[in-house]
Amino acid sequence: MTPTPLLQIDGLHVAFGARDRWREVVRGVDLRLLPGEVVGLVGESGSGKSLTALSIMRLLPPGARISSGRITFAGTDLAILRNRAVNARRGRDIGMIFQDPLTALNPAIPVGRQIVDSLRTHQQTGRKAAWARAVELLDLVGIHRPAERVHAYPHELSGGMRQRVMTALAVCNDPKLLIADEPTTALDVTVQAQVIAMLDRIRRELGIAVLFISHNLDLVAGIVDRVSVMYAGRVVESGAVEDVFDTPQHPYTRQLLRCIPRLDGQTGPMPTIPGLPPRLGTALPGCAFASRCQVVQARCRVETPPIRRRDGHLSACWDASA
Amino acid sequence: MSRFARRLANNFGGGSGLLGAVIVLTLLVLAVGAPWIAPRDPLQVDIVNQMQEPGPGFWFGTDQSGRDVLSRVIWGARASISVAAVAVVIGMAGGVSLGLIAGFFRGGWIEQITMRFLEAIAAIPILIWAIALVGIFGVGDGHWGPFTLGSELKLSMLLGVLYIPTLARVTYTTAAVESQAYYVLARRLQGTSSPRIILSDVLPNCLSPVIVQSTLLLAIGIVIEASVSFVGLGVQPPTPSWGNMLADARNYLLSGDWWLSVFPGAAISLSVVGFNLLGDGLRDRLDPRHATAALAT
Amino acid sequence: MAALFLRRAGLSLLSLLLVSLVLFVLTRSIPDSPARIVLGEDATAAAMAQFDRDHGLDRPILVQYGRWLEGIVLHGDLGTSFTTGLRMNRQVAATLPVTLELVIVAFAVSIVISLALGTLAAVLRDSVVDYGARLIAVLGVSVPGFWLAIVLIIFFAVDRDWFPPGGIAPLAKDWREHLRSIALPSFCLGVFYMAVLTRMTRSSLLDVLGLDYMRTARASGLRAGRVLAYALRNALVPVVTIAGMSFGHMFGWALIIEQVFNIDGLSRALLTAIQMRDYAMVQAVVMVFTFVFVIANLCADMLNASLNPRLASPA
Repeated sequence: MTPTPLLQIDGLHVAFGARDRWREVVRGVDLRLLPGEVVGLVGESGSGKSLTALSIMRLLPPGARISSGRITFAGTDLAILRNRAVNARRGRDIGMIFQDPLTALNPAIPVGRQIVDSLRTHQQTGRKAAWARAVELLDLVGIHRPAERVHAYPHELSGGMRQRVMTALAVCNDPKLLIADEPTTALDVTVQAQVIAMLDRIRRELGIAVLFISHNLDLVAGIVDRVSVMYAGRVVESGAVEDVFDTPQHPYTRQLLRCIPRLDGQTGPMPTIPGLPPRLGTALPGCAFASRCQVVQARCRVETPPIRRRDGHLSACWDASA
Repeated sequence: MSRFARRLANNFGGGSGLLGAVIVLTLLVLAVGAPWIAPRDPLQVDIVNQMQEPGPGFWFGTDQSGRDVLSRVIWGARASISVAAVAVVIGMAGGVSLGLIAGFFRGGWIEQITMRFLEAIAAIPILIWAIALVGIFGVGDGHWGPFTLGSELKLSMLLGVLYIPTLARVTYTTAAVESQAYYVLARRLQGTSSPRIILSDVLPNCLSPVIVQSTLLLAIGIVIEASVSFVGLGVQPPTPSWGNMLADARNYLLSGDWWLSVFPGAAISLSVVGFNLLGDGLRDRLDPRHATAALAT
Repeated sequence: MAALFLRRAGLSLLSLLLVSLVLFVLTRSIPDSPARIVLGEDATAAAMAQFDRDHGLDRPILVQYGRWLEGIVLHGDLGTSFTTGLRMNRQVAATLPVTLELVIVAFAVSIVISLALGTLAAVLRDSVVDYGARLIAVLGVSVPGFWLAIVLIIFFAVDRDWFPPGGIAPLAKDWREHLRSIALPSFCLGVFYMAVLTRMTRSSLLDVLGLDYMRTARASGLRAGRVLAYALRNALVPVVTIAGMSFGHMFGWALIIEQVFNIDGLSRALLTAIQMRDYAMVQAVVMVFTFVFVIANLCADMLNASLNPRLASPA
């Protein structure tokens, strides 16, 4: 018996443009999240992963729009909902944390106040109770001396602390889903590990499902249950994280895994994937990875590969091996 | 729009910039060609025809002495443009030099003293300085020993000096940044002398913001000249300037002789619009990231 | 915050001193001395020397400056004019309130309108409101206030009888007449700055609305009003700065507007002084202007620091 998914994305297409000139950047993405699950969405810059995430909360930048698809969250299709209805869910049922905590927090308002404003928007809390809750939340995300720090401005905090603050802001109303858009990319490596640990702890304590977006496959492996790999606007592989790492089905995933630097005696030049990803928005017949693929066949350039399933492990490739 | 027109417009940062350029060009033509373009002598008194409404003989009407308003407006362009232009030239000469020096020799006392002093001067609006200085140095022609400075020249010199802080600041901000750039460091290590580095490497990068600012200062110069002349401290009658024409017109406000004030004022407004559009267009073309507006009156 | 205030106040003071010094030196270095002006072309050398002694003009410049400075700082006394013999404080006090009221009314109305219009234009980008606001802004910036004044006087006061053509009716007598008489002058005075501030508000708000932290605000599900407030806290900073400068500049343009409307403000004092070669008065009035300008900027800086505390830390 399959439990009902918390979030289900079917055939999402996102395009940039104006009037009659639209360029697709997300070209048919399927994604599913069960309650309490942690799913990683991995891909390089330009793969469309961030736009997919932003679409869920309908926070696409100006000039971008959802051209088709369904985003079913707790039974409702968010893609066609009115903005006011979506806004009621933002910050309450779904929370989001962003890549650069310095630019993502309002520099003119103390961090505690930003949390309090979110609390008081979605809950019927008085001022005092809200501030007290804000202090608790800062403590929850691991900030020392939260009662003092609650009055601090973002520029007075370190990068790691700001990311914790953003996490507190995102989970303050007990959402069921947390979307983390490259939360560690802008941080030092040591701080990255701390923030990942904090996110893992929070989601366990609060029972939140997490959609973790990153370009770093290795990084997500430590925290996610399942992972989806995106390339040029499509999901090319998806499955339980152990399956994808142990037996990658898609050539792109295989190449990605080969590229992860190892500390166990690997010598020689570091492997890379030859070529460049296709320019954003160019129409691509067939498989987008064809020009860089090592097992490319003639049909790859012409026909879009079908999705093959094997025990919950999906891949979109013509190559039948492995 | 034809391809040629589009490329021309792009040069000036867009359609409005092109419009501004056209207006400015017209102004220049009028100013330079006044002796040949104006239908009548602007100073010629003709009592018989005084206070004529605009019509076939006198397209802009005549004033209280029978002088042709159209010709006076055209010659007024000459006064306004020349005052504004000379002022900008002086301001550029002084401001750019100071800005380059202050920006290049950063961290020294030269920079501090220069910029602080200029800031203090710039603290007062130009209009007030202009009126005060004219008040102190006297209106009308200036006599300094054997030299005689026309009232226009005096005004433009004063204005020019007052423009120096603004242009120095604009040059300084760019020069300071460019002077820290690696290519400048490389030139220094090569042993190139400072003056040469400043002139050949730093200066060209400062030109864009300076040009944009200068265009806007031209607009401001026209308004200031008009204002100062309006209160009687600028270009002295009978030489026509749009400002002193408006001062005359004020005496006849209540008697309904609207053409005395509408045409000179429209000329001022049109010129200001032209220079502003041109300046905005150039700014978009030369430095699209520049978001700060110029407020220097 | 206090540290910031002290620093800015200190810098302002420095500006004031520098300007006063420049003015002082300039007025003392022109060829025509006050003695010659007052006593006439054929005054004897002895009479002029006596005049100089009487007014302390024979002392070294720095001493004169020191005494003048002392008078202003310790007693708030602008001194006595050499040319007219009148106490300048009194002349300034008679005319300053008029100009001050004119500028304050113009400023207040400009601020309110430009903030509202600029915000609407930014929020309703590319709409009719936006284009309308931008058009008004371009026109307002280009049409010189004093010409607008003349045109409006012709239109409203001469052809119709809606506003008086000049002068300001005293407040004590009839506040309705007073308002009617101040309406046109303050409108003409404020139009330019209203245009500038509208543009500034619009562009600043547009910039801020596109920034990352606004996306976070929306992601928190904050309501539209609060999102706008979040944006304005940041967007208003450059606007406040320009508004502060505008107040001082308006004071200068008030001079011209007063002349068009025949208003007995500071402009009368200044222009009369210039006519009579009363350099001491010219200097005194300019110092008053400088003082107002510096105070306005200081207030703007402090307001900004409270809006956006990042500016309060010494940087």
